[in-house]
Amino acid sequence: MQMHAAHFPFLSTILLICVSGLALVLVLPKNSNAAVKWVSAACSAATLALSVFLFAAYDRAAGGMQFVERLDWIPSMGISYLNGIDGFAAPMLLLTGIVFFTGVVSMWELDFRVKEFFALFILLVIGVYGMFMALDLFFIFVWFDVSLLPMYLLIVIWGSSAREYGAMKLTLYLLFGSALILPGIIYLAAVSGLETFSLPALVENASFSGFEQKTAFLLFYIGFGILAGVWPFHSWSPTGHVAAPTAVSMLHAGVLMKIGAFGILRVGMFLCPEGWMYWSPMMAVLAVIGIVYGVMVGLRQTDLKFVIGYSSVSHMGIVGLGFATMTVDGINGAVFQMFAHGVMTALFFSAVGHIYDRTHTREIGELGGLSAVMPAASSYFVIAALAGIGVPCLASFWAELLVFIAAFRVYPALAMISVGVLVVNALFMLRVVRNTCFGPLNPRWAHLKDMSFAMGMPRAVLAAAIVGFGLMPFLMYDLIQTASVPLIHALGPAVGLAGPESVETLFTELMSVWP
Amino acid sequence: MTDWILFIPELYTLAVGGVFFFFCLGRGRPGRDYAAAMMLSAAGLVLTVCTAGFEGLVFEGVYQVDLYSQVFKALIYSGFFLTVCLCADLSGVDKARHSEFYLLLCLSTLAMMLLASSVHLLTIYISLEISSYSLYVLVYFRRGYPKGAAPAFQYFVFGAASSAVMLFGFALVYGAFGTAHMAELMGQVPARINEPVVFTGFVLSLSGFFFKLAVFPFHLWAPDAYEAAPHQVSAYIATASKVAAIAILVRMIALTGGQSDRVAWVLIFVSVASMTAGNLAAMAQKDIKRLLAFSSVAHAGYVMIGILSANAMGYTGAIFYGLSLMVMKFTCFMVVVKAADGGRNIKTDALAGLHQRAPVLALALLLALFGLAGIPPTIGFTAKLLVFKAAMEQGLLWLVIIAMLNVVISLYYYLGVLKAAYFTAPASQPRAIAVSLPFRLLALAMIVFMVAGGLYPRYMTALAGAMTAGLLP
Repeated sequence: MQMHAAHFPFLSTILLICVSGLALVLVLPKNSNAAVKWVSAACSAATLALSVFLFAAYDRAAGGMQFVERLDWIPSMGISYLNGIDGFAAPMLLLTGIVFFTGVVSMWELDFRVKEFFALFILLVIGVYGMFMALDLFFIFVWFDVSLLPMYLLIVIWGSSAREYGAMKLTLYLLFGSALILPGIIYLAAVSGLETFSLPALVENASFSGFEQKTAFLLFYIGFGILAGVWPFHSWSPTGHVAAPTAVSMLHAGVLMKIGAFGILRVGMFLCPEGWMYWSPMMAVLAVIGIVYGVMVGLRQTDLKFVIGYSSVSHMGIVGLGFATMTVDGINGAVFQMFAHGVMTALFFSAVGHIYDRTHTREIGELGGLSAVMPAASSYFVIAALAGIGVPCLASFWAELLVFIAAFRVYPALAMISVGVLVVNALFMLRVVRNTCFGPLNPRWAHLKDMSFAMGMPRAVLAAAIVGFGLMPFLMYDLIQTASVPLIHALGPAVGLAGPESVETLFTELMSVWP
Repeated sequence: MTDWILFIPELYTLAVGGVFFFFCLGRGRPGRDYAAAMMLSAAGLVLTVCTAGFEGLVFEGVYQVDLYSQVFKALIYSGFFLTVCLCADLSGVDKARHSEFYLLLCLSTLAMMLLASSVHLLTIYISLEISSYSLYVLVYFRRGYPKGAAPAFQYFVFGAASSAVMLFGFALVYGAFGTAHMAELMGQVPARINEPVVFTGFVLSLSGFFFKLAVFPFHLWAPDAYEAAPHQVSAYIATASKVAAIAILVRMIALTGGQSDRVAWVLIFVSVASMTAGNLAAMAQKDIKRLLAFSSVAHAGYVMIGILSANAMGYTGAIFYGLSLMVMKFTCFMVVVKAADGGRNIKTDALAGLHQRAPVLALALLLALFGLAGIPPTIGFTAKLLVFKAAMEQGLLWLVIIAMLNVVISLYYYLGVLKAAYFTAPASQPRAIAVSLPFRLLALAMIVFMVAGGLYPRYMTALAGAMTAGLLP
């Protein structure tokens, strides 16, 4: 793994901005709600700017780990503060920045225990940012748990329906996951005999036996997979999302579930390629069950948030399927999907949150014709729904396309089933859109006002990201490519799967029509 | 000629005991007693910290002063000092008895300090007994407790029985080796540990320490004693007493040099049983002190993981775990003492609205509970990481997984307490909790310590690691 040291600690700066924002929010006097919101917004805007910068400044020709910064932390245990980003982490940082900023702005109308909300929200984001940039297993775990820790209170205090149940279930499920990850991490660090927790050092120098890799990979797959909503460990996700307040749902479905997938990728696949290979058929089957199950259960839902919650399960299944193919395209598609789904689902929850705040219902049957009174709010909802279906020229189309190109080569039957189910899902989502936004207007909503420009701004940012990366997918694709090619090549000839190169050309040809 | 300088902290503590003995003779004056206890214990804490660098043997080799013992003495003394800090409102104890209360607390501390330095089976036994006897009486000090003397008596009977078993074990060990000096045993035990008489003697002799640490199956006294005792005494049992038990248990297990699988299996059994029994029972508790008692039992199980690994990392982890337990448990009891009116027992619901009544206490409680659940970045996570790493070096992956699953179980009841403090709306308008400035500073210090121990434990782990130098063959 190539490591390019940073001239300036950009990554730590992101964390530092968040920590200062958190400290500032904590010391502000009790009733200064506006100040708290402005501080949070400034903090999130600054980190968004930095993550956009990092996304652009990442040297795609050089590849490898860039902006690396290192500091000895607990030398006696070989723990160091080691950060760096590659083609997988850079899109995730961008995603976090976008969702953090839009999440804060989406909660502008909050007036109940404001200071505590934003403090916990920033704390959660610190964990997320840290997790995406950390390269030391100790810190990966610490950030992972920091990002789970505030969730319980966020849901229990500011949540809606069945919040106590949803919060407890979510927390216990996710902590059960971390109960498997920690042993896995310590296990690998102990059997390597290297006295280090540094991920690049372990990838380079440790030689784990097949048994060790299979054991550890399974621990990571289940542990992180719970957070990624892998079937059958997904059931916390719809209830948790429904119970959570808007910004928390956005962050949770948009970013936190990606932490789970990212953990499988970063820790599991980097450290235990043999385990990955061994378990990949199981991963593929579970992923496809997730896709099918998410769609099928979603069909029966009448609550909008449940609809999105279950569609998240099926979309994260696509990520899992991409990982399971063990091809460059599969990985590219999976990481692209993590980004696309993150933005899309954030927009979805944001739009639904706005509708719920006005109508106090999320029942599809009670809504209807909203586009007549709230054209802007409805259009964001429609964009999110279309992105969820995977309409061409929106970001998730490319992601799903890549995954299925790879999956048809490796697991044709499973890919066939998934695509068939997604078509059903498309029909269903269009019906949901029709029943909420179009058709006759329910007279109860006739008095509603459309969203103001300020409230529309975060949704516009999200929609812009969806459309932008849909029109220019190579911006994302080329970046992810710099990380996925070395990862697959490192597997060597041991991977008996059809060479990924031919598929690459297919996609490159597709892209070449672009002027 | 004994080098008395090395014995100064103990002599000082004895003198403090003398002062309170003198106070006992007169009429009770709670204000004076509290002020004296604060000053004397603070001075003692400074003294023990200053003597941390001492090294040497006292009393013909039965009393060893080294980094290990001195740091533990400082920890035990911090436990004493922190407990005294909680005594501003000692309404759980009869006014006339405050001097006796401090006297017994002081004697128990003295005995635990002796325990930390004891390297002869007889001194170990004597100091363990002295420390326990003071606590038996202290548990009974609760004013107007409905169950009367029953819990204290139960505590006493359990303690007496386990120390009888321990004495029998000591006798067998002495019979087998003809010496009770640990320095001499250290060279001989590892080779002969699998002989029936040595193995039996050794395992039986652990029972007294298991009792002290509340390890399964010697844990049954804990919930009743915690519940019945004045809050300050429960805090003391949960902090200083546990640290002392860890100090001596690590020394004992180090005797085997980690050479015996059989001993390891016994310890694995008690460890798994403790954490499972403790966590499952804690889920059903409504009274906070009972809940904390069962959580102590569970934590004894986690500590045992470090001890049974019997390697440098394991001992380091166990020592660090002792430190972390002291901070986290003390923080919990600090909240209990403040939230309980007039020294009454409180249920979890009584914490309702704590985040408004005393935000600083609520935040401290949040960190302490997350720490107890082993969630980073708190000191409790570092402690768990160390003991789990040690177990993993011994190839005990499955034990670590069992322990982590237990952590998830424990999270359920910790979150229950947290929910009460942060979310549940109080039934009636409760009074705001008056938190004085020194107390606020104490709470802040605990918060800083808990986070620092999780985020940057470098120097603390290095110190704990340095302490283990004399334990390894």
